[in-house]
Amino acid sequence: MDDLLAEFVAETREMLAAIEGELVAWEADPADRARLDAIFRFVHTVKGNCGFFDFPRLEQLSHAAETALAEVRAGRRQPGTHLVNAVLAVIDRIAELVAMIECGETLPVSGDERLIAALEPDSEGECLPDDAREVSGSERRVSSAPGSNRSIRLPVDLLDRLMSGISDMVLARNDLARRLREAGNQPAIDGPFERLSGILNDVREGVTRMRMQRIEHLYNALPRLVRDLSAELGKQVMIDLQGGDVELDREMIEIVRDPLTHILRNAIDHGIETPSQRLAAGKREIGLLTIVARQAGNKILLAISDDGRGLDLDRISAKAVSHGLGTSTQIDALSHDQKLALIFEPGLSTAEQVSGISGRGVGMDVVRANLEKVGGAIRVESEAGQGTLFVLELPLTLSIIAGLTVESGAQRYAIPRSYIEEIARGRSDAIAVEELGDTSFVTFRGRRVPAIALGRVLGAGEAPPLASGVFVFVRLANGDLFALVVDRVLDNEDLVVKPLAPPVMATGVYAGTTLLDDGNPILMLDIPGIAARHQLASTLGARRMEPVEQVRHEDRENDRVILFTDLAGRRRAIRLAAVARIQTIDIASLAHEGGQHRASIEGMILPVAGIDGDLPAHGKLTVLRLSDGMREILFAASAVDDSAELASGLVPLADDPLLEGTALVEGTVTAVIDAHRLFGRLADASGPALGKVCRLPSDDDWAQAFLAPMLRAAGYAIASSEDDTPADVVFALADGSVDPANPARVIRLRTTVEPEHPDDTSIYRYDRAALLAALDRAPGG
Amino acid sequence: MGELYLLVQIGGRRAAIPGARVQSVVEIDQIVPVPLAPRHVAGLAALRSRALTVIDTRAALGLDPALCDTEGRAAVVELDGHGYALLVDRVEDVAQADAVSDRCDATLGPAWDHVALGFVETPVGPAVLADIAALVAGQAPSRSRAA
Repeated sequence: MDDLLAEFVAETREMLAAIEGELVAWEADPADRARLDAIFRFVHTVKGNCGFFDFPRLEQLSHAAETALAEVRAGRRQPGTHLVNAVLAVIDRIAELVAMIECGETLPVSGDERLIAALEPDSEGECLPDDAREVSGSERRVSSAPGSNRSIRLPVDLLDRLMSGISDMVLARNDLARRLREAGNQPAIDGPFERLSGILNDVREGVTRMRMQRIEHLYNALPRLVRDLSAELGKQVMIDLQGGDVELDREMIEIVRDPLTHILRNAIDHGIETPSQRLAAGKREIGLLTIVARQAGNKILLAISDDGRGLDLDRISAKAVSHGLGTSTQIDALSHDQKLALIFEPGLSTAEQVSGISGRGVGMDVVRANLEKVGGAIRVESEAGQGTLFVLELPLTLSIIAGLTVESGAQRYAIPRSYIEEIARGRSDAIAVEELGDTSFVTFRGRRVPAIALGRVLGAGEAPPLASGVFVFVRLANGDLFALVVDRVLDNEDLVVKPLAPPVMATGVYAGTTLLDDGNPILMLDIPGIAARHQLASTLGARRMEPVEQVRHEDRENDRVILFTDLAGRRRAIRLAAVARIQTIDIASLAHEGGQHRASIEGMILPVAGIDGDLPAHGKLTVLRLSDGMREILFAASAVDDSAELASGLVPLADDPLLEGTALVEGTVTAVIDAHRLFGRLADASGPALGKVCRLPSDDDWAQAFLAPMLRAAGYAIASSEDDTPADVVFALADGSVDPANPARVIRLRTTVEPEHPDDTSIYRYDRAALLAALDRAPGG
Repeated sequence: MGELYLLVQIGGRRAAIPGARVQSVVEIDQIVPVPLAPRHVAGLAALRSRALTVIDTRAALGLDPALCDTEGRAAVVELDGHGYALLVDRVEDVAQADAVSDRCDATLGPAWDHVALGFVETPVGPAVLADIAALVAGQAPSRSRAA
């Protein structure tokens, strides 16, 4: 059941429980106006809510009851026992239907005619369908018993308390684990402790999930909003949503929804120019809106940028003067940033005309006030003609975040993993360090980014040369990239981040603290803080240059390889272009089925190559995450060594199909993995084939029950035969017809193994291989 | 009157911390330093799965901690929701105050003036009543600002 539906069921149930008492009271005194209103509100809400879903029966029932009750409220009809009974019967039926929806049963198409007829005024005197009420009443008792505890609503502060209790338990557990380790092997205690620890992990995960929601929930509605608004305003706008997997407190999602919508509206209405204006300004016709979510220590950063005309400082200043925020001399004396910040002052809307889209009296001042109320913040950057960037900071009072521990100057620090783009060793050929002025830059993969030693950030005197360290490339919420150079990269750990005391916080380089498993506190670095202190973050612009540069360097990357040692200890190389990143995964997240290892990672199941023998049951595994732009494959490695230039030609190998050949890399004979073959071989086992949409006959049970799950698992999106989504592939059953106007490829399925006549091109419906092959041949969307 | 005070030695002088504010007295064995932090923030230490900010009270008074011996014990206090360990030379005793005076009649010198709330008369002698917030804030706020 999807979230919306679950919410609908939960809400309806809650309302049903709430009006239970009202119903009895109303039955006793049908003239009681307050009860009547409560019941009217209930059927009205049900009717409104089920409009989102396709429940014609619920809609008809609630509509009929609503009509009858409206008559009573308007005084046109007297509520008699007959009407009361009829309404109660309808409400019982609603409860019954909701219980069926919750259990995922299909609702019978009809059966409510008598109930609805009984609501009619002229049905007075007719016998009420007693049987209907009786039946529904008893059924309800049966079905609601298991159903009623499927979902409950809880006050958020209860979850807060639970969550903080669990976090403390995790820390206490870690402390205990350390003490047990120190005390040596004690089988009688270690076993139960392991179990306790495992249970605690599960509980922690559950509790965390209770409060968290992927920011995708917020993103889902945005493409539509942008589409509608831009169509209305005659603009062309594209929206790019990144970081949808960042999790945010449910409550926080609701809090940020309005500000985000408001900023988007403003950006489309005032920021992005019309296509002709854009062309005249030398920009692409289509405006680009980008939303990036990122976790930053105990904050979530949401950066919303557009490439429109930017904020008009002169007009803002003039408005500020006319609103009496200061004299024109005072306003003129403000810095660029201070002038920008004026838009958060009450009553300042820069639009010349108040349009229906933005400027409804809800200004940026309200947005800021709402964010500050929950401990968040908002800031703006803008450059005329370049665009505008809003950064929303949302607090995450208590969170468990994934971090990378690093070492610098014999001390450990944690970096939130959400920032980390890539890690590279300084001693590799791919890294070139240059000193420009007093700043160091590192050129990596054709991009030059500022680099700074963590030791220098932290005020250590004489730092070792940058090239001897490890470069951790971190990306800020606004898209800027810089390299933090550490002595060593240690481990990935889940960290329970606690706030730091004010004297420590005042340094501006730490975001929080956490206790490691060995019981020692570790400081988590405040990456944006460090960037700001050392002016490593530029303002707008830098990020917009990137795509062009990346394209330019693509062909060069083809001849670079990453060197690694596979699990069997052999030296291997793979082309850099195929490697998305290097990651460490839990061996526990691997499953071996059907001759193929798969790992669940970030909510996806990806095939894992490079595992021949047995793996230990626990621990971590380093994997190269390969991507061909559409699918991803993991390749197991025991160590990732370096990256290198593929200088010599390849000598093809005959015996191993997964090897492209051998080459001389840095003086050693190294086998190069054939990424093309690898993807070819694992393609059907790998993740989503992005974009392809299959249309299935929605009235066919077999298609829905058997075909749809198989297609979804293979990564295809499913469209029903009613909706208008353009499909790449249309499935037709042997007896079904297909709209000939649809240009998409049609795949016909038959129920018999053998074709009925020789020129029958249909596919036997359980011939999976033929099905997938036919799908693969379909043009992608 | 009659309240309990924790008597400690800071830089060789006796000071009193209100007993009700002291959660415990602990041995600090391992301190994780915090680079860039003010001098009186000795670092972080773990206590029963909590991270405490260790304040070297001698440095908070502007003294050089290297010149004062310490037996490595600290009083754990809470201020504005954060836990601090106040590292002192020595923890002497817990004593009942015979009398408390909330003002100093004479200056105690630049080091002590900003942390002294008054005096406590105890059976073992008088002690300076130390202001926890001032110890945590460190020496003269204006100077740490400039850092």
